Amino acid sequence: MLSKRQYFFLWILLSFILIVLFIFDIILGSVRLPFFDVLKIIFTGQTDHPEYATIIYKFRIPKALTALFAGFALSVSGLQMQTVFKNPLAGPYVLGISAGASLGVALLVMGLSTFTVVSQVGVLGNWTIVLAAWMCSGLILFLILAVSMRVKDIMTILILGIMFGSATSAVVSILQYFSNESMLKAFIVWTMGSLGGVSLAQLKVLIPSVVIGLLLTFLLIKALNAMMVGENYAKSMGLNVRSSRFLIFLSTSLLAGSITAFCGPIGFIGIAVPHIARMVFKTANHKILLPGTMIFGGIVLLFSDIISQLPGYDKTLPINSITALVGIPIVIWIIIRNQKITAV
Amino acid sequence: MKEQENIIHISNLEIGYPIKGNINNTLFNNINLAGSSGELIALVGKNGIGKSTLLRNISGLQEPLKGQINYFGKLKNSYSRTDFARMVSFVSTEIVNVNNLSVFDLVSLGRFPHTNWLGKLKPEDVNRTARALEMVGMSSFSRKHINEISDGERQRVMIARTLAQDSKIIVLDEPTAFLDLPNKYEIIHLLNKLSKEENKTIIFSTHDLNIAIQEADKIWLMLEDKIAEGAPEDLILNETFNRIFEKSNLKFDKLKGDFKMQKSHHRKIGIYGDGPHFVWTKKALERLNFMVVKENESGQYIKIEKENNLCKWTLIEDKNIKEFSSIYDLSIHLKLQLKN
Repeated sequence: MLSKRQYFFLWILLSFILIVLFIFDIILGSVRLPFFDVLKIIFTGQTDHPEYATIIYKFRIPKALTALFAGFALSVSGLQMQTVFKNPLAGPYVLGISAGASLGVALLVMGLSTFTVVSQVGVLGNWTIVLAAWMCSGLILFLILAVSMRVKDIMTILILGIMFGSATSAVVSILQYFSNESMLKAFIVWTMGSLGGVSLAQLKVLIPSVVIGLLLTFLLIKALNAMMVGENYAKSMGLNVRSSRFLIFLSTSLLAGSITAFCGPIGFIGIAVPHIARMVFKTANHKILLPGTMIFGGIVLLFSDIISQLPGYDKTLPINSITALVGIPIVIWIIIRNQKITAV
Repeated sequence: MKEQENIIHISNLEIGYPIKGNINNTLFNNINLAGSSGELIALVGKNGIGKSTLLRNISGLQEPLKGQINYFGKLKNSYSRTDFARMVSFVSTEIVNVNNLSVFDLVSLGRFPHTNWLGKLKPEDVNRTARALEMVGMSSFSRKHINEISDGERQRVMIARTLAQDSKIIVLDEPTAFLDLPNKYEIIHLLNKLSKEENKTIIFSTHDLNIAIQEADKIWLMLEDKIAEGAPEDLILNETFNRIFEKSNLKFDKLKGDFKMQKSHHRKIGIYGDGPHFVWTKKALERLNFMVVKENESGQYIKIEKENNLCKWTLIEDKNIKEFSSIYDLSIHLKLQLKN
């Protein structure tokens, strides 16, 4: 447990880092923008270089906002799943949400190639992919929710989530096998994740979805604190375990599902970040852990995004590889540090 | 007196698990029990007979198959979830092992049914939590993490959580299961103290019969065909205890208040001596399947002689005389003899 002053200091420090990274994420990229011009555009909206404003408003800010909100959403949903399943290796995708989304995209991208002559994915447009991903992860969500209302044991739900995930992956493999090269590449690129493909118009859907999911989670802080000591105890303290579980799954699906639909399956943030927050804040109380995880999620994903666009070069690395390369050492460190990772 | 009787009343209860449709896996039926305020009640019975299930039914975690449990004269359904949690709290056998969870945070979770939707702790909740920790003697552990303390300390913290929950009835499933002997005694003694000082009805299951007999006001004894209830002393005197392990060789020793393995004795042996040396020599010989008899009823006997602080055991057998300086040496000799 840290003292109140230590917490206060941490919040200030982390917010500062978050803001700095956000600004750097806007400044750094394939086209080098002068530092002060960027600040001027962000804070006053005026500039002598209209082309800079276009780059910033059309590309950099949407991307930085996407990174920020994806970081919030994935890390928070990961924390919820670790708490509910009392399993340190659970993440936002244990319910099969990303598998559902990838099935949707695979059906769209590769399924189409077998029926039509459309050979350019661009024709389908971003929205189509988003809708396909959302619909299929929504389908998985309803399956999981329906099961969770009937099944008592939380471990059964975990196993069913993994089974759903494996089943959809199997279908995706079959689709991949029968699809042509260009479609296959389009799908593979989608699975690598991308923060840059979200337009301003799409942000107007993405951000409200994430905000609603986060609000829901903040309403569930009390329930999460009770669930962390086990469902029996939670129930004996007067918690409606089933409806709380339902709401937690709903918010996780909203958070992880929206991000996956727009950005593809971005891995490791959801598993690794809650552990960082636990280690730094040294508490299990979700009142602190939840905002802490959120802020660290934003920091880690903004940082990964800055690295992925290789400042100074005109190439961008797939974000999924960067989050994995950032996330894996953290997970390994955690495992080695406390040899026995018990329940979260 | 009348009010006392009404805290918890179980009538015609059938417990177990529903399997499919109307088919049930019944563990126990026709349970009729009662508990009053300020009473420490020990639930005793052999493994698998349904102790945990009964406790889960009482604490509202599981629905009875038939019959009813009345809390203050009303059924569970007539209370809201929150009101029920303010009335009955529960400690299970599950070990709570959450990283970074501080003792204070865990105990303050007990305030769950008393706090608002955000779980905000008001000064009163903080005070109640602190007082709960004080009552179990764990105040100085408040800032420690739950996986840094011993099993006995953790059990006290779990009890403090029920005290913070401020329920009239506290149900504990085998609170002494993982503990060493001093901790077992201390925990049960603490429960006894709390039942009296805080006027709670505390129900716990246990296999530590002798501790239960010493501390509990009432025992609920689950036998093969029925549940007996009464003061431990009543159950001893009317020989009900003997029926717990009917099918095994265990027999209840009425004078000692404990179970003893019933053995078939092969040979007789006599002992001359007194005091603790006599008692423990007798125990050792009984372990070797000897039947200890009066002085001259057998040809073999042992003489215990004490000089200063030393003691020697002399085995006399017709004309053979052997001396031993410890019970261990004596028993090795007797074992060899038994083999030949």
